[in-house]
This record gives sequence, structure tokens and C-alpha cells, in this order.
Amino acid sequence: MIEYLLLLLGESIMIFGTLGILRFPDVYTRLHAATKCDTGGAMNILIALAIASEASLLIKLKFLVLAFLIALINPMVSHAIARGAYKYGIKPKVVVDMYAWDNP
Amino acid sequence: MSRVPFYLKERLDEIRQRVLYETYEAQKLPKWEQVVLTWIALFSFWIVISGNARIENLFIGGIATLVISLFMYEMLTEDIRQTGHIVEKILYIGLFVIPQYLFIMAFRLIESNFKVAKHAILMDINPGIIKIKTDLHSNTGITILANSITLTPGTLTLDVDKKLGETYLYVHWIDVETLNREVAGEKIKGDIEAWLKKIFW
Repeated sequence: MIEYLLLLLGESIMIFGTLGILRFPDVYTRLHAATKCDTGGAMNILIALAIASEASLLIKLKFLVLAFLIALINPMVSHAIARGAYKYGIKPKVVVDMYAWDNP
Repeated sequence: MSRVPFYLKERLDEIRQRVLYETYEAQKLPKWEQVVLTWIALFSFWIVISGNARIENLFIGGIATLVISLFMYEMLTEDIRQTGHIVEKILYIGLFVIPQYLFIMAFRLIESNFKVAKHAILMDINPGIIKIKTDLHSNTGITILANSITLTPGTLTLDVDKKLGETYLYVHWIDVETLNREVAGEKIKGDIEAWLKKIFW
């Protein structure tokens, strides 16, 4: 029962993340939607699969290792994309930009 | 730092290296504790990844991870702060600190998903880039803090800067509430930093 709830939660999180990517104005706010919703949705779906599948315990543990690796790698990739976009010269649409104050 | 003259910049770098080196040397673990902690982490990872629990598999994995941890003991554990006996430390990290961190981060992640959904529907965003200060100095601790800030609601780490032994984080905040550095740090970091200070220096 609880695995269907987790699957539904993960898929709705993924749908709202896609909506956020389509509607937000620039790179940095789109990265918010991409990073958080991908991490949360993929982890929810993997935990639901680990509960629902009829495999042995060690294979279920491998699903949890995959969820851990996703939670480890996804924020690093988003940081690399955001910093690379800033160094490339894409200006963010913001009200205050303290990074441009300190790196003229 | 870019407006400082060159000779002064060299001198400041030297002072910073000395201060960091002394605090680091005072809080380092002994060598065999580093080897044991690295071996436990690598061996548990071997058991989960290899996927069968027969006795010869465990034996081969134990020997191989012991040899690796004898050579590479500095990579994983050089930032852990020295507190207490090793058994006490292993039990404390494994039973209290890691479940506490997983519990905190799971609820923050669910909350941030709902917050992104709310922002995507209502479009009430007010973005800005804020600079906050943190008390941590070790590389592993700063990495975990920056990744946790990226997963907490409404914030995304843009860059990390170390100046004169102090560490600053540039954070892209999707809904700027305040410009004060202390209040913003309190709102962004939350209890993650207090948690990280129990292990890393």
C-alpha cells in the first residue's frame, strides 16, 4: 500500500519539477526546479521499488545505494552548472547580486 | 582580494596557511583510528555492492579493503575532529549522527519539493544572490554543508570562498527575505551546521 503512495508522490513531484523548468525565467531559478524535484522524485520512486520488488535483501540494499548516490551527485552537478553559467557571463535576473560585488 | 598588492597578498596567504595548519594538526586523529574508520566504510560498501554473503567473498573483500585502507587512510578521514575513544566514536556516528542527519534532510527535501511546486504554480519568486558566513574550515565539512544547502527549500549554492581562514558561501535564494548576513545565515543553514560541527572541524 505504502509503495503506491510513494510512487504517486514521486511522479507528481517530477511533474511539478518539469512545470517549474518550463515556467521559470532564467538558468538559476530553473536549476532550483531541476535539482530538487529530480532528487526528491527519483529517491521516492527508488524507495518504492525497494519496498515493492520481490528480490533478496542485498538487491534491495543496492536500490538504497542508488538513492544515496543520486542525493550525493545531483547538488554537485547543479553547483557546477550554476558556477559555469556565471563564469560564462549569463547575468541572473535578481534583486541583489553580492557575487558580482565581490568579483568585479 | 584582487585589489590587494602582490607582496601583501603573498604574506596574507602565508599567515592563512599557518593558522589553518596549526588548527588542523591539533585536531587530527591518530593513524590507526583513521585506518580502522576507512576499513569499516570500505568493507560495508563492498558487502552492499558485491551482493553475496558467502564466507570466501567476505574474506577476499576484507583483505583487499584492508590493503587499500592501509595506503589511502588520509583521503576519507582527515577532516574528522578528535573526540573520545574510537569505539564510542563509531557507535556515536553510526547510531546517532547519521540517522539524525537523514531524518532532518528527508523532511527538508520533501518540504523543498512542495515549495518548488508552489513557486511553479503561483510564480511568486523574488530571486537574489546572498553571501553568508560559516564557521567550518575542513573541505569535507564545507562540501556536505554546500550540498545540504542546495537540497534545503529555496536555496542553491553558487560558489565557496575562503579568505584568511574564514569561509563564505554565495547562495542563490529564490525568495529573498532579508539582506542581513547573520539573519540570512540563520535562516539558510538552520540546524545543519550545528550538526556538522559535531564531526568535522
